[in-house]
Amino acid sequence: MNKSSRILYNITKSAAVVAVVLAVILSILMIANYIQTKSVDPLNSKAIAQLLDQLQENPNDQALKEQIRALDLLARKAYFTHLWQLRTGGYLLFSFVLVFLIAFKYMSSFKSYLPDLNEAAPADVTWENKLLSRKYLIYGGLALFAIAFVLGVLSQSDINKIGRLGAAQLSAFPSVEELRENWPNFRGPEGIGIAYHAKAPTEWDGESGENIVWKTPIPQSGFNSPIIWEDKIFLSGADRRTQVVYCIEADSGKILWEHTLDDVPGSPAERPRTSEDTGFAAPTMATDGQRIYVVFATGDIGALDFEGKRIWAKNLGMPENHYGHSSSLITYRNMLLVQYDQNSGGHLLGLNARTGAILYDTPRDTDISWASPIVVNTGTRDEVILNSNPYVISYDPQTGRELWRVRCMLGEIAPSLAYTDGWVYAVNEYARLAAIDTNNPTEVAWEYIDDLSEVSSPVAAKGLLFMPSSYGTISCFDAKTGERLWLHEHEEGFYSSPILVGENVYLMDMDGLMLIFSAAREFELLKSNSLGERAMTIPAFKHGRIYIRGEKHLFCIGD
Amino acid sequence: MRFCSRSAKTVFLLVLCFLLFLPSMNLSQTQERFPKPDFQSGYTRPDLLTPTPRSQLLEYLDVLVLLVALALATYFAHKLRSRRKLFVLMVFSLIYFGFFRKGCVCSIGAIQNVGYAIFNSGYAVPLTVIIFFILPLVFTLFFGRTFCAAVCPLGAVQDAVVLKPTKVPAWLAEVLGILPYIYLGLAVLFVATGAGFIICQYDPFIGFFRFGASFNMMIFGASILLLGTVVARPYCRFLCPYGVLLNWMSRLSRWHVKITPTECNKCRLCEESCPFGAIKTPNEPRYQGSKEKTVKSLAALLVMLPLFIGGGGWIVSRLDESLSRQHFTVSLAEQILLEERGESTVLTEETKAYRASGKPREELFQEAVSIQEKFRLGGWFLGGFIGLILGLKLLNLSVLRRQLEYDVDTGTCLSCGRCFAYCPFEHVRLGLITPEEAAAQGARDPEAREKNENENV
Repeated sequence: MNKSSRILYNITKSAAVVAVVLAVILSILMIANYIQTKSVDPLNSKAIAQLLDQLQENPNDQALKEQIRALDLLARKAYFTHLWQLRTGGYLLFSFVLVFLIAFKYMSSFKSYLPDLNEAAPADVTWENKLLSRKYLIYGGLALFAIAFVLGVLSQSDINKIGRLGAAQLSAFPSVEELRENWPNFRGPEGIGIAYHAKAPTEWDGESGENIVWKTPIPQSGFNSPIIWEDKIFLSGADRRTQVVYCIEADSGKILWEHTLDDVPGSPAERPRTSEDTGFAAPTMATDGQRIYVVFATGDIGALDFEGKRIWAKNLGMPENHYGHSSSLITYRNMLLVQYDQNSGGHLLGLNARTGAILYDTPRDTDISWASPIVVNTGTRDEVILNSNPYVISYDPQTGRELWRVRCMLGEIAPSLAYTDGWVYAVNEYARLAAIDTNNPTEVAWEYIDDLSEVSSPVAAKGLLFMPSSYGTISCFDAKTGERLWLHEHEEGFYSSPILVGENVYLMDMDGLMLIFSAAREFELLKSNSLGERAMTIPAFKHGRIYIRGEKHLFCIGD
Repeated sequence: MRFCSRSAKTVFLLVLCFLLFLPSMNLSQTQERFPKPDFQSGYTRPDLLTPTPRSQLLEYLDVLVLLVALALATYFAHKLRSRRKLFVLMVFSLIYFGFFRKGCVCSIGAIQNVGYAIFNSGYAVPLTVIIFFILPLVFTLFFGRTFCAAVCPLGAVQDAVVLKPTKVPAWLAEVLGILPYIYLGLAVLFVATGAGFIICQYDPFIGFFRFGASFNMMIFGASILLLGTVVARPYCRFLCPYGVLLNWMSRLSRWHVKITPTECNKCRLCEESCPFGAIKTPNEPRYQGSKEKTVKSLAALLVMLPLFIGGGGWIVSRLDESLSRQHFTVSLAEQILLEERGESTVLTEETKAYRASGKPREELFQEAVSIQEKFRLGGWFLGGFIGLILGLKLLNLSVLRRQLEYDVDTGTCLSCGRCFAYCPFEHVRLGLITPEEAAAQGARDPEAREKNENENV
């Protein structure tokens, strides 16, 4: 190598060293930058998430909205600045590596890589190499297949098992028939006030004990109604301090177990204010035969198994409700549906029944309401339909996606909806009784404005609609035309809702007097039986018996 | 010994430098599939990182470039026997197919398009993609792997970083050599089941060509390149699925480059010239142990070959549930199941979107199961294929073929031309030395000297 070549060689060597050092430093900086970028991801900003939570509580807070926008913009700017830095760093790194490669390859051109021919040729080991290769290939192949075998054994996917079991077992939720065999939620299967496959006693007297099979005092008060799955009855009770779920044996009336729902994560330390006729345990529980579900006025919601063991519990956020939360629960397939209409805005929540995880949270631009959802099949699809002010809105229960809405209500909505043959009926006092054809849900098909219900929900079946009111009237309408067929005036008002059992309608007044009349175009009172205790809940029908929660007791009525 | 002048090399490296910087000058045009949203805040969207569809004319231009590049590579390797020209062409290919075309379309990835078209009648594979798949194979069938030498951008980027190549032990190269077959089989299985294009998904260099990829892929790519500084072209040799097909074609090639332009005098000068270990050295058919034992083991392997195929098929078919997780539908169904069981408390965007679609879950689960069944069937073929390759490799290793002179292994030789300049007869061809001087080189090898002496006698 001559002198000029040596100088050139040294310059190239220095360039290579500098380039590689810079490349290493830059790489470290870029990795650090990348880690930092991950931490400032604007989509996962904790600060913004906290502010968004605050906004949910105060949706009209303009200052808060501006603060969120400013923070979001800042986070995004920071994020994209980091990205720009990474990109620029990438170009620089590429340049350094290129300089290094060129320098190194140039340096290499000064060197010779020829073998030393003065040494004797190495011994011929071709066959030995082949044998060695064969040995390691056998080992490698065996190791490969062994790993594959172990992986195959270890990675058993439940998808396969479940898929092969078929749709019925896959779903792990009760069929419509199973639901109709039981009394799984408020106003019975589907929440529409119809008792399927049920016979019911027609005569009893609570005071004398005639046809009262048993009568069990319930320690904690509550306005929720009993639900039934097979031979177990469930109801809840609560006061300002405790929230309890009771399981009662249907045959004997014995309380099998009770579970206090306490230590719920997120439960408010300060209890909400509720009115006397709502209380802390107004919402009726629900069950899907797998678990039972309960919600209280505190927003605490939970699932228990049939032995009273807690599966999950959480708080949905303290309800902003001046009377107290009373909307009842209902299940759909593997989901638990919650109508959570508050002063600050409404939500339809779809929870994973198994875990309580929120599967969807559909915001509702409606006013507060106390009504409960119904889940019906309108011919081609399942719909969950909610009554509220000012809209009756139908949603896809699977996804929470809105299907249709009709503006027809006013005021504080407590009555739930009635449904029959593709028609939905909504009512509220000072508003109207409105009929909506779900095949054409763009307008009210017919309406009626007298003797409207304040709390009691109407029931519809056999082409008729029955609507009681809190001041004692019972109206019967032709379900398709809206023609009022008859009006019966009763001395006591109704908070409870009518239930259709076979050919008869059972309707209990606030004094606990059950009127049994024909579900017909003319009024015919068949019987009236006293419970001997005030009651405003909905009776449950199963086993050929009626289960009624009075102010103090749970009654079982049977022949 | 230096075979090219230093000044010419300097000029060449400067040109290389200039060409490599070209892509950073935004030569490529991108287009939007949808109108850009109008941001009031003044926010400007970042540039697109993925290549956009080209007009058909430009696609045919790509085909033309490929054809010309293959023709030039073949001409440089076979006729001119010029490593330098091959290197310049390689740099051009790296810039054009790599940085300018952002690594797409490429012949390696085209395996998947062709495979998907075979298994999915509803998919029409573009003609240009078919040409990209077939053309290098046709050239290889006639002229050896000149595509690998100077046209493939993935090979080029690795070749550019070869600094101090070390020899991979023969046994290790043989064991690692099974990986490309597995990768090829997996790629075909995944496209056959609609699980995705894993070759593109796990292309380690695409991030460099596009100046952007996921962190993990950048790290993977950087690791391969770092390894490539001491183990020449590790992806080409131990992963490339297209290399399997090229290897097969190259073994059948009508004409293949040779180390020497005329004859080999076993001077040993080329012995260490190939960084890919693709030079076969002279040997004698000398078996260790008795020949009878060797024949017996060969026969045993032949008998066991169906066992390898069946056993491999059975074992890999058991991986159906693991492998099928790569399929979106199966992965979605599993995630939904995890969420329903409470084993995953955070909902993913995918499961939210699926629920919002309103499709019944039963449909999803049954679709997932039918995909798993496809994987099970495909697993039989994949495992059988791996077993077959393993068995054939073992058979090949149980036979010793006589090698009289230094020659390339036509299957693994990449026709890069590195070895040409090491042969004294190449220097004779170029007029740099006389035949006598070349013979003298050979005379320095004791064996060759003996042969020369015998020939002289």
